[in-house]
Amino acid sequence: MIVVKEAGLWTTVQDTGRSGGYHLGVPPSGAADQYSYYIGNLLVANPAHFAALEMTLMGGTFLFHKNTVIALTGAPMKAYLNHELVPFWEALEVKEGDVLTIKECRKGVKSYLCVSGGIQVEDVFGSKSTYEVSKIGGFKGRKLQSGDELSISEPLPGAFKQVGKSAPLEYTPTFNEFQELRVIMGLSSYLVSDEGLKNFLTTEWKVSYESNRVAYRYTGGNVSFTGQHPPFGAGESLSNVVDFAFPIGSIMFTNEKELIILHNDATTGGGYVTVGTVISQDLDLMAQLRPASTSRFITVTFEQAMEVRAERRKQLEIMEEMLLRS
Amino acid sequence: MFSLPETTFSFGGDEYIHAEITRDMKIESNFKALAVTKELKRRNIPGIQDVVSSNASYLVRYNPDIISGKDLVEYMREIDFTKSDPAKLDLSVRLIEIPIWYDDPITAEYSARYKDRHPDPTRSNFEFCMKVNGFTDKQAFIEHHSSSPYLVTMIGFLPGTAWHFPLGLQSKEVIQAPKYNSPRMETPERSIGIGGAFNVIYPANGSGSYNLVGMSAVPVFDMSKRLPCLEDSPFLARLGDIWKYRPIEESEYCHIRSKVEDGTYRFNIRNIHLSPLEYVNRGKDYIQELLEDQ
Repeated sequence: MIVVKEAGLWTTVQDTGRSGGYHLGVPPSGAADQYSYYIGNLLVANPAHFAALEMTLMGGTFLFHKNTVIALTGAPMKAYLNHELVPFWEALEVKEGDVLTIKECRKGVKSYLCVSGGIQVEDVFGSKSTYEVSKIGGFKGRKLQSGDELSISEPLPGAFKQVGKSAPLEYTPTFNEFQELRVIMGLSSYLVSDEGLKNFLTTEWKVSYESNRVAYRYTGGNVSFTGQHPPFGAGESLSNVVDFAFPIGSIMFTNEKELIILHNDATTGGGYVTVGTVISQDLDLMAQLRPASTSRFITVTFEQAMEVRAERRKQLEIMEEMLLRS
Repeated sequence: MFSLPETTFSFGGDEYIHAEITRDMKIESNFKALAVTKELKRRNIPGIQDVVSSNASYLVRYNPDIISGKDLVEYMREIDFTKSDPAKLDLSVRLIEIPIWYDDPITAEYSARYKDRHPDPTRSNFEFCMKVNGFTDKQAFIEHHSSSPYLVTMIGFLPGTAWHFPLGLQSKEVIQAPKYNSPRMETPERSIGIGGAFNVIYPANGSGSYNLVGMSAVPVFDMSKRLPCLEDSPFLARLGDIWKYRPIEESEYCHIRSKVEDGTYRFNIRNIHLSPLEYVNRGKDYIQELLEDQ
C-alpha cells in the first residue's frame, strides 16, 4: 500500500488508456506522455500497460507500506527518498516505511511514478485510467487527495534486479519551451482560406492557461475562414460544421484566433472547423508544454507519420533490450 | 431514394480514419452511417479499436501496428459502397420522454458568466435562441421546440451526451443556433443545449459550446445504479432512439429531481419499430403515426 500524505496539484492513476467506448463518448484517457510513462514501466520491468501515478507540475508525498521497486520519469522534479535526493529515469529500491517526497518541476508538466506490479485499482471500461470529468476509473474516479490509500501489487519476481538501471540521457525527452508538432492535414481544412492555412503553419502559437488533459488551447495567430456559408445543421458561424467524432489530436478553430488540440481526455465529438491532426507521438511532447510556451506546426504525409511511428518502435526496442535483457 | 454523394475519407493523424458522408445534416446520411458502422463492427476486424457512428459521418480508430491505414481505407470504402443500404436497417428502438424546465435560472446564470465568449453577449442563451429563430413569445418557442420528436443521431462529447435532431420537419422549420465563439469551461450537468440544428443534454459538468435553454430533470448518464433503466448500462442514449421533450415548471422539476435522487423515478419509455425507408418516403405522416400508435 502507498499512503498519500500530500497529493500534489493533479495526481491521477493512468495507464495506456481504454478503447471500445469512443462511440459512447468515453475518451481513451491514459498517461498524457505515453513515452515517459512507458520508460518508467520498463525501468521497473512492468508490462507496458501497468498503471502508474501521473503528477502535474508538482509531485506529492507518498509513504510506502511495502518493499518494492519504483521509477520516476517525465518532467524532472526534485525527489527525495526519506531525505536523500534520488534521480529520475532510474529504478530505485524503496523499503517499508520510506517516504518519497516529490517537489515541483521547472521544465515540463507531467511526471510518472511507476511501481513494480503496478497501482491496483478496478478496471472500468477496460482500463485503470482516471477520467475525472465523468468520474470514470482510477482511484474513485478522481484525482488523489491526502489520506488516500493506494493498493500496490507485490513486486514482480526479479524486480529488485532492476535497481540501479537507468535510461540513457539521449533516450529521455528534453522538455523544451518551444516544440514543433507534426500534423497530418485534412478533415475540414477546406473551410480555412489559403491565407489562413499559411498563417496557421507560419505562426508560433502560444499555449494558453486553459490547457489540460482534455485539450490544449493556443492563441497568438489569426486564420481566416473561406466565408462559405456553413452547411445545414452546422450553425451560422463560419467556424461551425455539422458535429462529428473527433480524432484525438485534432486541431480545431472555434474562432479565427484560438486553436484547440484534443488530448487523451478529449471531448469525443463536436462541430468546429478542424484542419488536421497532430500525430500520436507528438501528443506526448505537447502534454509536456507549460502555459506560455510555444509551438509551430509542421505538415507531414501519412507515410512520414508511419516512419515516425517505426522510429519510435525501434527506439523502444533498444530500450527494452537495454533495460530488460542485459 | 437514398441517393448520397460518394463518401470522403481522411486520415485523422496516424490512428484515425474519418469518413464524411455529407457536409450538411441529412437524416439519410445518419441512417447510412448507422448501416456502415454496424457492418464494420459485425466483422470484428483485429486492430480496429473503435467504430463511431456520427451525425453525417463516421470515425474509425485503429492500431497501425496491426493493420495498414491505407488498406483499411480501401476496406472501408468497399463496405461504404456495398453495405450502406439503410432500407435494410431494422431499428428496434425506444421512445423516451424527457421532462425539461425551459428558461430556468441555472442556465441563465451560466449564460451570464460566459457572455464574453458568446456571439451575442447582451442576451441569455434562451433569449438568443428565440431571437435568431424569429420568436418573440416564450411559450411559442417552447411549444415549437418540444413538439417534434428527436432522433438520437450521435453519442459522444462526454460519456452519454447524445446529439438529437428533429424528425418530420422541413429544414427551415428547424430551430438552429450558432455555437459559442470559444467554448465555456463549465456547463451545468443535465442542461440542454442547442448548437446548429442539434440538441444535446450535457451529462456532466464540463466544457461546452451549445446554447443552454433549459434543464432536464432526468439524468442521461448515471453510474450510481440507483435507477433501474440505467442499471445495466449508465448510458440513457442509444443510436436510433427517439426522445420527446415534455415542458415542465419548477415545482415538477424539483419533484422529479427528488424521485431521481431516491431511486424511485421511472422513465416513460415505449419500445417502437423505426423504419428508415418509411421515414424517407412518408416523413412527418409516418412520425405522427409512430407517436400515436400502441
